[in-house]
Amino acid sequence: MNDATALKKTHLNQQHRDLKAKMLGFGGWDMPISYEGVIAEHKTVREACGIFDVSHMGEIRIKGPQANEYAQFLTINDVNRLAPGQGQYSALLNDKGGMIDDLIIYRLGANELFACVNASNIEKDFTWMKEQSTRFNVAVTNESEQWSQIAIQGPQSQAVLTKTLGAASGAAIEKLQYMEITEVSVDGTKALVARTGYTGEHGYEIYMPHSIVQNLWKSFLSNGAKPIGLGARDTLRLEACYVLYGNDMNETVSPLEAGVAWAVRLEDKDFIGKKALLAQKEGGLKRKMVAFIMDEKAIPRHDMKIFVGERDAGYVTSGSFLPTLDAAGGMALVDSSVKIGDSIEIDVRGKRKLAKVVKRPLYSAKVK
Amino acid sequence: MSFPKDLKYTNDHEWIRVAGKSATVGITKYALEQLGDVVHLELPKVGETYQAGDTFGTIESTKTVSDLYMPVSGKVTKVNSALVNNLEGLADDPYAGGWIIEMETTSTPDKLLTAEQYEKFIAEE
Repeated sequence: MNDATALKKTHLNQQHRDLKAKMLGFGGWDMPISYEGVIAEHKTVREACGIFDVSHMGEIRIKGPQANEYAQFLTINDVNRLAPGQGQYSALLNDKGGMIDDLIIYRLGANELFACVNASNIEKDFTWMKEQSTRFNVAVTNESEQWSQIAIQGPQSQAVLTKTLGAASGAAIEKLQYMEITEVSVDGTKALVARTGYTGEHGYEIYMPHSIVQNLWKSFLSNGAKPIGLGARDTLRLEACYVLYGNDMNETVSPLEAGVAWAVRLEDKDFIGKKALLAQKEGGLKRKMVAFIMDEKAIPRHDMKIFVGERDAGYVTSGSFLPTLDAAGGMALVDSSVKIGDSIEIDVRGKRKLAKVVKRPLYSAKVK
Repeated sequence: MSFPKDLKYTNDHEWIRVAGKSATVGITKYALEQLGDVVHLELPKVGETYQAGDTFGTIESTKTVSDLYMPVSGKVTKVNSALVNNLEGLADDPYAGGWIIEMETTSTPDKLLTAEQYEKFIAEE
């Protein structure tokens, strides 16, 4: 049993309990797993509008004359491609090319960047980033405790957001392209709205001071959004084949193996882990991330072994029942020889169950 | 929550309907509520024999896998295969249409709880 008193609570904790959410400890936080039910909540996001309390996520600000040089050296993607108000998916690597964390980094100004990192890695990321910052003229600050965050996702998310924030903010939000971020005023308090998400639907992630999160949550609910827990957050992102740190990658998995090579700029810049990635590329990747769907009734789960004939071919990194597909499936790190269309067997608690390797994503994102 | 008085119950949240040497087994509405959305059910083969307390199958929700335990020793005579393709219906009808196995009992059902005892048990859980 979780000792809920030892777990950290977001500023929406009482709201979740009032809504009779099923609560669970996640990365040291007391979080809602579901309210109405994972499958119903999943459908709500795909068809209408759902809101998620993601206040447990971390925020780190990078500011100073060498903010860009520092960020270029520490992350895999190219921050010089970002105009103010734009963000990109990226990652921190160790010198073996393994992933310390994945993150989204936004440019707020010529010398100011803002990174959103995974809740479970906040301390690790910040310690690493501080250590690496000493050679640069830059200030790196951990602002995680200052920000609450609500994600609003689904085909009706823009309508609900505009209705809640009003016409003036609505105009700024209307202009947001995918991955862009803008400042809005919520009853006189500044908040950041980013057109990003982890569900594969049109949506936004809103960063705000704690002082307004409870009222904003309630307003979203009264304007038609439904509360969505971490259970559906996982089934939604898995269908869209978005990786989850801890499941799909860790410090022994490179971004090339994790299937996010598109975010790695190997040509134009030097960064921590680059040498290791170049070596991996040159030697040929030994393993890679694939998506798969079950051909036999069983639910694949993280760490289940995968076989091709008698050969150990890898393991499931994330698996679940996938409500939109009405089938079970997930992602796996497999031997490079495994091809799309191949049949694989998954060891589900001692029984081999058939699955088929399919193209990613399992569900085509509608984010743009 | 109240439970049908004509059934007996176990600490593992199974219910059993005994009729002479035959019995029908399922899981309680309380267990289903704890589980959430049921996404998978592993049934035993007809003809399998088990001792009381043995695992005869598994029930999976989006987040967890739970074992199903035999309330009493016996041989499986029927399994509800139709249920596997209609798991959403389980929560609506757990004590009739939601039956999981039928069996021939080979021992006397003891250590089973009455509806009142089961109600008390879950209140203290």
